[in-house]
Order: sequence, then structure tokens, then C-alpha cells
Amino acid sequence: MAEKSRMFSEHWYRVSGQRVALRPSVRSRRQLYRGEQWRVLYDPFANQFFRLRPAAYDFVARLSPDRSVEDVWRESLERDPDHAPGQDETIRLLAQLYLANLLQLDLPPDAERFFERYRRRKQREHTSYLTQIMFARFPLLDPSAFLNKARWYARIMFSRPGLLLWLAVLIMAGKQAVDNADRLMDQSQGILAPGNLFLLYIGLVLVKTLHEFGHAFAVKRFDGEVHTMGVMLMIFTPIPYIDATASWAFRQRRERILVAASGMMVELFVASLALFVWVATAPGTLNALCYNIMFIASVSSVLFNGNPLLRYDGYYILSDLLDIPNLSSRSMQQLRYLTEGRLLGRHNARPATRRRGEAVLLVCYGVLSGLYRIFVFSMIILFVSRRFLLAGIVMAAICFVSWILMPIGRFVHYLLTDPALDRNRTRAIAVSLSGAALAATLVGLIPFPSSFSAPGVLQCETFVEVPTRATGRLVGMETPGGTFVQPDSVLLKMTDAEWIYEWNAETAAAAYNDALYRRALSASAADLEPIRQHRELIRRRLAHLQERAQQMDVRPPIEGQWAPAIREGLTGPVLPRGMLTGYVLQPGRHVFRAVVSQNEANWLFDEAGLRHAHVRLRGAAAQRLKVREWRVIPADQRTLPSAALGWFGGGDVAVSHGDQTGMAAAATFFEVRTEIVPVDVDGLHHDRTGRIRFRVAPETIGRQGYRRLRQIMQRKN
Amino acid sequence: MTAPSLEYHRIGIRRPHPLPRGLDAVTHVLFGAWQRRAARYARLMRDAETVDKHNLSMQRMSDRMLREKLDAYRTRFQRGGTGREQHLPTALAAIREAAFRQVGLRPYPVQILGALAMHDGMLAEMATGEGKTLVAALVAVLAGWTHRPCHIVTVNDYLAQRDADWFRPLYRFCGLRVGCVTSTMEPVDRREAYAQQVTYTTSKELLADFLRDRLRLRRISDPQRRLIRALLAPRAAERETMVMRGLHAVVVDEADSVLVDEAVTPLIIAQRRENPVLRTACRAASVLADALVAGRDYTLETRYREVELTDAGMMAVESLAERLPPLWRGPGRRRELIEQAISARIFFLKDKNYVIQDGRVVIVDEFTGRIMPNRSWSEGLHQAIEAKEGIEITEPNETMARLSFQRFFRLFPHLCGMTGTATEAAGEFWRIYNLSVVTIPTHKPCIRRLEPEKVFHTADEKWRAIVDEIQNLHAQQRPVLVGTRNVAASERLAAQLDAAGLEYNLLNAVRHKEEARIIAEAGLHGKITIATNMAGRGTDIKLAGEVARIGGLHVIATERNESKRIDRQLFGRAARQGDPGSARGFVSLEDELFQRFTHAPVSRSLTALHARNPRQSYKSVLLAMDRAQRSAERLAFRMRRSVLGADTWLDESLSFSEDPGS
Repeated sequence: MAEKSRMFSEHWYRVSGQRVALRPSVRSRRQLYRGEQWRVLYDPFANQFFRLRPAAYDFVARLSPDRSVEDVWRESLERDPDHAPGQDETIRLLAQLYLANLLQLDLPPDAERFFERYRRRKQREHTSYLTQIMFARFPLLDPSAFLNKARWYARIMFSRPGLLLWLAVLIMAGKQAVDNADRLMDQSQGILAPGNLFLLYIGLVLVKTLHEFGHAFAVKRFDGEVHTMGVMLMIFTPIPYIDATASWAFRQRRERILVAASGMMVELFVASLALFVWVATAPGTLNALCYNIMFIASVSSVLFNGNPLLRYDGYYILSDLLDIPNLSSRSMQQLRYLTEGRLLGRHNARPATRRRGEAVLLVCYGVLSGLYRIFVFSMIILFVSRRFLLAGIVMAAICFVSWILMPIGRFVHYLLTDPALDRNRTRAIAVSLSGAALAATLVGLIPFPSSFSAPGVLQCETFVEVPTRATGRLVGMETPGGTFVQPDSVLLKMTDAEWIYEWNAETAAAAYNDALYRRALSASAADLEPIRQHRELIRRRLAHLQERAQQMDVRPPIEGQWAPAIREGLTGPVLPRGMLTGYVLQPGRHVFRAVVSQNEANWLFDEAGLRHAHVRLRGAAAQRLKVREWRVIPADQRTLPSAALGWFGGGDVAVSHGDQTGMAAAATFFEVRTEIVPVDVDGLHHDRTGRIRFRVAPETIGRQGYRRLRQIMQRKN
Repeated sequence: MTAPSLEYHRIGIRRPHPLPRGLDAVTHVLFGAWQRRAARYARLMRDAETVDKHNLSMQRMSDRMLREKLDAYRTRFQRGGTGREQHLPTALAAIREAAFRQVGLRPYPVQILGALAMHDGMLAEMATGEGKTLVAALVAVLAGWTHRPCHIVTVNDYLAQRDADWFRPLYRFCGLRVGCVTSTMEPVDRREAYAQQVTYTTSKELLADFLRDRLRLRRISDPQRRLIRALLAPRAAERETMVMRGLHAVVVDEADSVLVDEAVTPLIIAQRRENPVLRTACRAASVLADALVAGRDYTLETRYREVELTDAGMMAVESLAERLPPLWRGPGRRRELIEQAISARIFFLKDKNYVIQDGRVVIVDEFTGRIMPNRSWSEGLHQAIEAKEGIEITEPNETMARLSFQRFFRLFPHLCGMTGTATEAAGEFWRIYNLSVVTIPTHKPCIRRLEPEKVFHTADEKWRAIVDEIQNLHAQQRPVLVGTRNVAASERLAAQLDAAGLEYNLLNAVRHKEEARIIAEAGLHGKITIATNMAGRGTDIKLAGEVARIGGLHVIATERNESKRIDRQLFGRAARQGDPGSARGFVSLEDELFQRFTHAPVSRSLTALHARNPRQSYKSVLLAMDRAQRSAERLAFRMRRSVLGADTWLDESLSFSEDPGS
């Protein structure tokens, strides 16, 4: 790297006579990054790292307490005039080494400044707790004694047989998981249920502790040092962590990757064991705990630890795989270079790399990780705010300040005062202003189409409900559903036990009467008349009973298409009088009855705002049904037009739990009836659910977002 | 062995307040604005009136009684502690009376006001000729009574000596001894002079003595540690004799020049060291640089004085690289050397940035126009300029200690000052030194006539008009003072005046020897004086008896300076102490400041506009000039602040290496 480094410095006199050297405890290792040589200085006592280019290391390594800096500098300059650090660079180098506490001095250092520096570092740590409130770390103890005792274990764990065992267990567990896939899926429904949260947390702590010890043992395996263990407040959830940064000094890339991956490997192993237990046990606490452990180990590995877009294990693995150290900060630097150099026109902006491939990688990574981080955090905030509104608001406020306000403030400050921009401040300001104006126009001025949708149900415009006219037992459906029926056709055949008794009694009475009549013919003709009258009565009764039998059968009131509401082939059950058995529909015109929540209701009464709407039926989303005109039932309602819309019926609308019909909505809503423009398509069936999408007057993104935000807030109050 | 506390005060330095950053900086600036508010001024004014009232009773006192009273105040002030402030008005009234009896000057109320402000640790803006020297003496008496070291910093040796002698009777009457340090003095005499309660000296001497003292301390400059060492090895400690008594109060005259204009130029204690390789390298680089062409081989950034070699330039140099010594042959070193040689050619001009005297390059201070014989540019650059001039290349200096005035004056616990022009830099005084500026009204109303600035298209037109104006005024026998920005401009004007057959005195870096005489004559009938920028600062131009009747001194500014403040300083030479006088500025669209600090499109369109209609464009040209001046000021301030920031960072991170300034 031929950076500009001046040979002479005015401040040289401050170091030239000093006698300094690296602390004896400092070790150095050579590392190769993308074919470039680097030296990493590493102080195991302080766990400090320092990366140097070889020429600088050549100088630093020569420093010794019995020679002055000047002598050493001249010597290294003579050896390699072009690469040896200039005086400027040497001063900076010594300063950085000193600040990293890697230098040994012949004079006692200025204690006051030492403490001042310590105080400032502490202060920075404290402020970082605040700004990184979601990931604050609190170091607690030093696990090295334990780890050293258990070192032999690390050797076994990270060995070839260990790997084979790990693989075998994982494969077996994989098979078990496939076998029990349906049960696994079923149980996942209740994972966030309040009753399970405690177990979930226990599982989380267990898994993460083992995970961290996985890192620690891996570091130990390659003779690194682990000195810090503590608690991290991840989104206010305390979980353990261990500082395994010692691996950064490992020379082999393979070793560094293994250390980073070891945590997840342990997690997977633990998850496998938990799976075996889970399969073998009946539901109970142990079973649930095992399930939670599996859940955490798999989900957190995918979402957090294994994901290279967040700065967890996956990130370090990726960074080592790509051979780009400090991937994240370098990609930020590259993005910064692009903005500063290309957009703002800063003349001496320095790219993070000069290699094309690496530059592309850096930019991709920077953009992706930025987007992903925003996504993850918004999800977290939404999730938290759903449970605890206040905490969500506080988190959102903190994020807003630290990710939006502060960067904007810093950027404005940078724009106005940074000396690096002196030459192109006008352009920089112009570009930034036009960028801001563009963003403002997009968000605040240009209206974008906006719409909202509501669930609803399709119904024929004219249909008649077909109730039973008498209580009776269903004999069977005479006419299959879908048939076009006439008013005299029988839809359902019904009987009634009481009627049968009565019928039997009457027929018996008729037979008896008949016998009496015959006897009277021969014995006493005077009795004939009353017997005849009685017979008449019985006949009338029978006729009445027959009429009742007629009525018991369900018939359509009008002609039309028969749409039964009861199952075909059903026989036996007693249907009460007046019960709905189905509909007779008059095909042709259809209406869609939509259930619009109160939140969107303001649009319904805004004549100018509502542009047009269309309906898509469930299962036929590709088909847009046009609607002709809509009518809002101008009073809020609670009874759904169809049970299919409610939660019990598989719909989206919350219904009250106490209600058996599943038609009583938990919150009042507005019903909108629209008429479907007749089209010649199949599937326009009565009571089919779908969604209606109302397109409203175009609105700017800003207004839309603001309204959504207000709605979220409103929902919580 | 001296008393531990004395030793402690002698060596211990207060760590200056850190420059506030971020939001702290904003509140600090706001607080500064609050400090400058009118109410504070009103309070000072009230105090000054109280002093004035007390004075009547003092006037009736006998010398002996007054002396006793002063002695009483002296012990009270020496004791320190609370309750001192309530005696301030009467004490000041007594000093005022003593000044009248001993020196014959009775401070005006406005001078008392200035003294009060400075005693409070403020910067008093007092117009030229308002008796700043007397005010400084009043403040020094108050500070001297505490028996902590009090230094008064003047512009030059002559003034230090003169003021010390002038006010010695006053100090003696107040029970104080006064010393004076000038550049020619030996360490023994210096030690003696610094041992007095009040010491007059120049900023350079003060800082140089401080640095030399620090070098004598060598490696252990922590007072406690030294004390322990003195107990362990008394003899070694004895040998390190320092000349100064430590830093406490300082009164800075011409504070804006010391604390702003010259703030970042460091004072360097150096020794020569042989570096033959550098000399050959510079000479070879100079030859190589001659072959390069601007635009093709290198690009220039005039505003920031930067050179950058293009690829073509690098190629051209590469083919000739073997002429360089091996140490400088590699691409990085080579580039550095050549770029330096080019910037020595482009940005460092003879008779502007330096002059050649006795075959040596002597730096000219851009602000004062004075030559600075003992200064040199940084290692390499100075040699590059010598190589360019073809004179013998001197050995580079090896720095042993260096400190800028900025950082030095921040070390004083009690810093105050006075100057004729400060309001423009009030923000800087506050941010860097925690000094709030208070403007002291003049004793008599100022009747200077500021004539409208004249704008010209080209520099030639401007110079012709200046000569015309001089001729006109000369015909009326009015004295004229012409201020130029650099030596070359002053020589140019001199040549034109020669051609016009006018008599004049020229005061610039090259002819600085007769400075005092020229300034003394500048107020005489029909005298024409050409002076670079701030030459003769600190001395007044006194008008000859008749001159006031015909309109007094007329000052001509030949172009805008880097700062409005310096313009005002120049104009302030006319119409001092209620005398009549006038001033006029001349600018042209070709002026360097305008060209350098105006964006090219703006300057182009303004030039076109002015060519078409000079009268209509007059206002906009002046506006653009103001803007250019302001951005020059801003750039300078930012540069000074960043130098301080870089120094502080270095201090912080190199705290293992003892620095005299840290």
C-alpha cells in the first residue's frame, strides 16, 4: 500500500529520543488476508489486538529498551526506504500502540492521564450500554480456571472421532425429526403461549450457555485464552456470553472458522439429544422443555447466530470464508467512500479496497446487512409492542433517536463543518439537499395509490331460506343440492315418531271401527249411525295426519337452485321446527357483503376518497370481480354475515368466545354490500368468502405511514 | 533547596480546559454569547463608576497615607481568599491616584472599565491610542499583589523596555518590583527579571524561556516526582536552574495578533543537524521539478496550497529517479520529494513569503510583513526552497521543543488581554481561550470618516487610482498611510510613486530597521508612508500640530486582508483619540483574496457584470468580497482549531513522551 506518508514530521522530537519496546507479553502472528501479509500483535493479558503491515511490524519488532526510536527508525529506513514508515506514520503507530497498552516504556507513564483515559473508556462503555440497549453486555467472571481443568475435554470434543460422533447423532436426529414432522409442527403452535414462556426462557439459557461454552472450548482447543464471561441483555432478556475474541489471533483460517462455528455445532448437538428425549417421553414438563430446547437451537441458529447479516457467529464465519477481516466496518467504509467520493465529490475519499471483486462483495454485504438489520429490528419492535406497548414505544423511540436522528445530526454536522469537505462543500450540500428533497418528494408529496381490503362473503342477491315447517326426524334428502327445483318438489323427507304413533292409533281405531260396523250390521242396526259418524271422524283424522306428513317434508317456497345447508345423505336427526335447512337461490345476480373494521371506516364515509373496488374470492385470487356500487349499512354491527368470516369459521375476524354460532364479532364493524358485476364465470357460489379491496384516493407515503402508525397506537389504547 | 510550594508553582502547569466537542461545544458557544451580553457590560460600568466616586476621597490623601492604604491592599490581595473582590473598587481607586501622582496619568473611567474587565479575565477591545499600556499596568498591579508571577506581553522589545521604565515609579509606589526581559538578555538577567512581581516581555521571549526551562527539567516535569527526586538526590536537582517562576497571570497586548493571527506558528527550539542526504535529494528534486509542466505532470489546488503529481508526472519522474539518493528512490518517497519541490516553486514566492538576505532564505510573516530571521520552514521544505533559489542548502534543524502560542497561552490560569480589534474573533477567543470580549468605548468620540470603498476591474486600474488619490491628498499636505498586504505590493507601489515623483517612506520586511522613526514621522505634514499590513503595531502615529486642522491622517487599504479585523486595525491608525482622519479601501476583481475564496462561476459572472455596468454591480462585488473575506477567516479559524485538535490528540496519545507543552 503506497499511502502518502511523509518522511519528516515536526513532532518527531517527541518520540525520537524515547526508548520504548513492545511489552514482553506481546506475541505476534502472521496472517494472510486475500494474499496480503499482515502481522497481528496480540497481548493475551489484556486481550488486545493490533494489526500491522509487515514494514511497520519490521520497525516495531526492532524497538528495544536500549535503543532510541530514532536509531531504530533510521535502521529500518535504510533496510527498506520505500516501505518503512515515515516519521508521521511512526508517531501515529507508537501512539496507537501506546493507547492499546502494548508498549513498554522506560519512564513511568503519566498516571493522571492514564486514569483520565480509563475514566473516558468507562464513560464510553456506559454510553454504549445506552445506545446498544438491546445488546448490553455485563462481564462478570473469569472462567479460565475451569476451562483449563477441562481442557482435555476440548481435545476430545474437537477431534476426528468427535466430529464423527457429532455427525452420526445429527443424522439420526434428522431421521427422527422427519418421522415426527407432524407432531413437531403441531406443537410449534403453542411455543409463544404465555404458559410456555418460562420453559422457553429456561431452554434459552441452557442452550446459550452450552453454545458459549462450545466457543470457549474451541478456543481452548487451539490454546487461546478465555477470560471473560458475563451476561448479555439481548432485547432485555438476560443470557450468558463468553468472550472468545482470542481466536482473532489464530493463524489458521480453519481454526478461526471452527471457533466461530463451534457454538452452533454444540447447539445442534444438544437439539439432537433433546429430540431423542422428546420422542421417547410422553407429554409433560421434560417433554416440553426438550421441545423448547430444539426450537431455540434451530430457530435462533437460523435467525441470529448462523445469519451472517447480523454480527454473530455467522458473520465471523463469512468474514473468514471471504478472507475479509472487519467485513462489516469495511463494507461501511466502502459505502461511505461511494457516497463521499462519488456523490459528494470529496476528492480524497479512500476506498476500503482497490480490488474490484472485494469492492462488490463489500457493497453487497453492506446493503444487505443494513436492510436485514432494519427488518429484524422493526420486527422485534413490533413484536414487543404487541405485548408491552410502553416498552415498544420506548424501544422505538431509542431506535429513532440513535438510528435516525443522531445519524442525521452527525451528517449535517459533517456536511457543514468537516474540513475534508471544504473544497466541495457546495456540491456536497447540493447533492445532500437534492437527495433529501427527492426523499421528501417521494414520502411527502407524490401520492401513491393506496388501498385497503376487508373480508367478506359472496351471496346471491335473491335467495330464500328454507326452514323446516315442523319438528321431525330427517329421513333423507330427496333432491340433491344444486338441482333446479319447483315449489312442489320434496327437498327433505321428514318423519315424526309421534305422528307414527298417532297414525298407528288412528289406523287401529279405523280397523276397530270397521269391526264394530260389521257387527252392528248383523246385530244391532240402530248402532250403525254413530259408528258411521265415528268412522267419518277417524277418516278426517287420518286425512289430517296425512296432511301433516305432507307438511313435514321440506319443500322449496319458490323455484330456484337448491343449496342445502345440511349434509347430504344425513338421516335420523330430529330437526326442530323453523330450522334452516338450506337455501333456494335465484341464480344471476350476486352481492358481496364485506366486513370493514372501524379502523378503515373513515374511508367508507369519504365519498370522494373511495375510488373503486374489486373482489377476489378465496381460492380464485387470480380472478378479479368487478363491483358495481356499494352501500354501507350505516350502523356498526356485531353479527357477521357468515360464520365463515369469523375465527371459528377459519376467517380473519375476531369473534367473541362466548358465542356458539361463531357469528358474533368481538368488535363492531361496518357492513358494506356491493353488487358484483355479472360475469360468466364459474364458482360464484353462495357464501363463498373472499376479500374486497377498496382503492382509495392516492395518498403520499408519509400520510399513509402516519395513519398506519396512529392506527397501531389506537389499537393498543 | 527551595520551598516545596514554590517549586510546585514554578513547575506545575495547569492542564488547559479541553476543547468542548459535540453538544458540549454548542452549549459552550451559547454560554460564550451569554457572557458577552450587555448586562455584564453594565455591571462593569457600574463598578467603574464606583471606582470613580472613591477617587475623590483619595485625591485629598497625603502620599504617605495613600502608600499605607496601598500596602494594606497589597497584603489583603496577597492573602487571597474571599472578600478580596469587595475591596477591588477602592483598591483600584487608590492605584488610579497613585498613577496620577507617580506617572502623571489619571486613568479615564473607560480605562478603569478596561482594567476591571481584564481583571475579570476578559479581553478588552480598546481603540488605538486609548492608553492600553496604562490599563495593563493597573491590571498588573492588582495581579502583582498576589505575588504570583504576572507577565505583561508586549509587541516588541522596545515597547517592553519602554513600558517597564515608564511605569516603574507606579509599581514601586504600590510596593511592587518590575522587570523586563528582552531578546538580548543573558539567562542570569532573565532570571532576575522574572523574579520580580511584574515582568514585561514579548510573547516570543516568554515562550522561548518557558520551553528552555522545560528542556532543563528534562524528563521529569511532574512537580511531585521532582520533589521526591530532590529529596533523594539534592545535588542533581540544584543544577537544573530555571529562569521563570511559573505561569499564572498574563496580560497580552495586541491579543488578536498573538492569540489569533500568530497562534499556530510554533516557537521552536532547535539545533542544526547534518543531513547530507537530504541536501543532495533536494537539489536533485529541484532539477527534476523544473522539467515538469503544470496541468500535464501535476495538478494544483491553490486554495489549499496542494500539489498532486499525475500519472504522467510520476512516469516522468520515474525515468530520472536514479539521480536521487537511494533513500528517496522508491515511488512513495519520490513523490513526496517532488511534490514538495513543486510546491516550493508555486506557493512560496520570493519577496512575498520570504526574502533573501546574505545568501540565506529568511521567512516573511504573512500577517505582519515582518521578517523572521531565526525561523525556518519544516524539514525538507526549507531545503527545497533553498534549492530552488540556487543558494547553499542549510542543514535542517532538529527540533528539541516546540509549542504554539495558542497552546502556550491556554496554560495560563489567568489570561486577559487587550487589543484594538477583537469583536470579529470573539467566537474564537471564547472557544479556544475561554476569553470573552468586551468592547470599551473611546474616551472621546471617534470622528474617523470611512469613505466608500472603490472597486476596479483590474489591478492596474486600482494601483493607478491609488497613486491618484495619494497625489490629491499630498497636494493638500495631508499625511497618507498606505497599507499593503505583502512586500511585493509595497515595492510595486513604491516604484509607481517614484515614477510620479513623490517622496515616501517604505516600511516593509526588507526595510524594517527604521521602523520607529518612520512611524514617528508618519503623522507629519505631507508624509507618505507605505507599510505592509501590520507593521508598526503597538505604536501610535501621532499627528503633527497643524495636521489635525486640514483633516488628519488618511489611510488607504490597497486590498482586502484575510480578515476584516486586520482591515479595521489598519483603518484604526487614522483618527485616534478624537483626532480627525479618514480611510478608504481599494479593491479590484483581480485581488488574490477574491480570486482564491470565490467560487469560479461567481467570480466570472461578477467580472462580466462589472465590465458591463460598474455602478450597478458595486454592491454585489462588495458583498462577494465580504463573503470571500469571511470564508478566508473561517478557513483560518478551522485550520487553527484543527492544529490544536491534532496537537491535543498527539499529547494524549504520546503522553509517554514528555512534551514541554503538555
